Amino acid sequence: MIETPCRDVALHEWTAALTAARDEGFDFFDWLAAVDETDAEENAGFDLVCHLMNSSTGRGALARVLVRTRVPDGQSAPSATGLWAGAAWHERETYEMFGIDFEGFDDGTGLGLRPLLLPEGFEGTPLRKSFVLASRASKAWPGAKEPGEGGEGGPPHGGSRPEKPGRRKIAPPGVPDSSWGPR
Amino acid sequence: MTVALPMPRVGPVNDDAPRPIKVVLNWGRRYSLWVFNFGLACCAIEFIAASMARHDFIRLGVIPFAPGPRQADLMVVSGTVTDKMAPAIRRLYDQMPEPKYVISFGACANCGGPYWDSYSVTKGVDQLMPVDVYVPGCPPRPEALLQGIVRLQEKIASETLSTKAIRAKYAGSRRAAAGEVTRALLTKPQVTGRDTGGELS
Repeated sequence: MIETPCRDVALHEWTAALTAARDEGFDFFDWLAAVDETDAEENAGFDLVCHLMNSSTGRGALARVLVRTRVPDGQSAPSATGLWAGAAWHERETYEMFGIDFEGFDDGTGLGLRPLLLPEGFEGTPLRKSFVLASRASKAWPGAKEPGEGGEGGPPHGGSRPEKPGRRKIAPPGVPDSSWGPR
Repeated sequence: MTVALPMPRVGPVNDDAPRPIKVVLNWGRRYSLWVFNFGLACCAIEFIAASMARHDFIRLGVIPFAPGPRQADLMVVSGTVTDKMAPAIRRLYDQMPEPKYVISFGACANCGGPYWDSYSVTKGVDQLMPVDVYVPGCPPRPEALLQGIVRLQEKIASETLSTKAIRAKYAGSRRAAAGEVTRALLTKPQVTGRDTGGELS
């Protein structure tokens, strides 16, 4: 498995980078999505990723490329619907899941960006790390959270070895922290 | 467009029939369950396996498959119910003629299963409509569904069916609207005063 080459571009070069990739032969739009990197050390925001393939590669594996940019929280990204009409569904999904706006979005209906998959009346952007899951706020995780913690039988092998001090506790996204009150 | 069709009734004959006749009628109903499969995820594959030659639930009188919900007696919800799908399930359930029965097949349909904390999964199909038999498992074996069907048939055999009893059974769910499952965005609770040990409101 060869790692897909990735081109990191600035936000204002997004459309130009996609156009250049398309002109190089990467004319098949596979998918577009975002990654929540709002907790990154520097340049926090959302990674907007677009996966393109070269449909004229011929036999065997298709050549592919990832184009990636960092969108700061609250900023909008240029839409790719002008290059590939099929990007409309992907941008609508990215919009509803991450709350990223796409400037110049046009899917031919004139209705603009609107939720695609979520049920009507859904509030919030569920794939953001800041989105708190209602079930996790009302009910504690039914089992051990850390290795060797609680539960019957103890750790999988050999007695109750004391845990290493200072081990970072795992806090998965979507789980409310202790400031939400006891659970 | 909606058409107000009257709900089919059991009729006065069944209401006033002597007990032996009711037993015979129940016996007839329990062994001719037209099933309506609401397959939503991997559990539906186990359901299909239960309907095929090896497990063959037709020998228990479960007839696959009703042409539509209006001809079905039994609905088997097998798979992960999402909030988006919930109105459709409720709508199809409302279209089934009474008396109707529901089997919740698998952990997801029972309570949300491994997706119990997801933002999009309904925490059990019993939030949408009354369920008669729950079949546990992830996914359950076809034998588990057969056992669930047998339990449902025992339940049907022991009930006295009359127009009044049917009204009473479905009174709570008849007028419920489809898709009453949306919830507002969860926000951090406001801590009032020194009360930090309270529960979330």
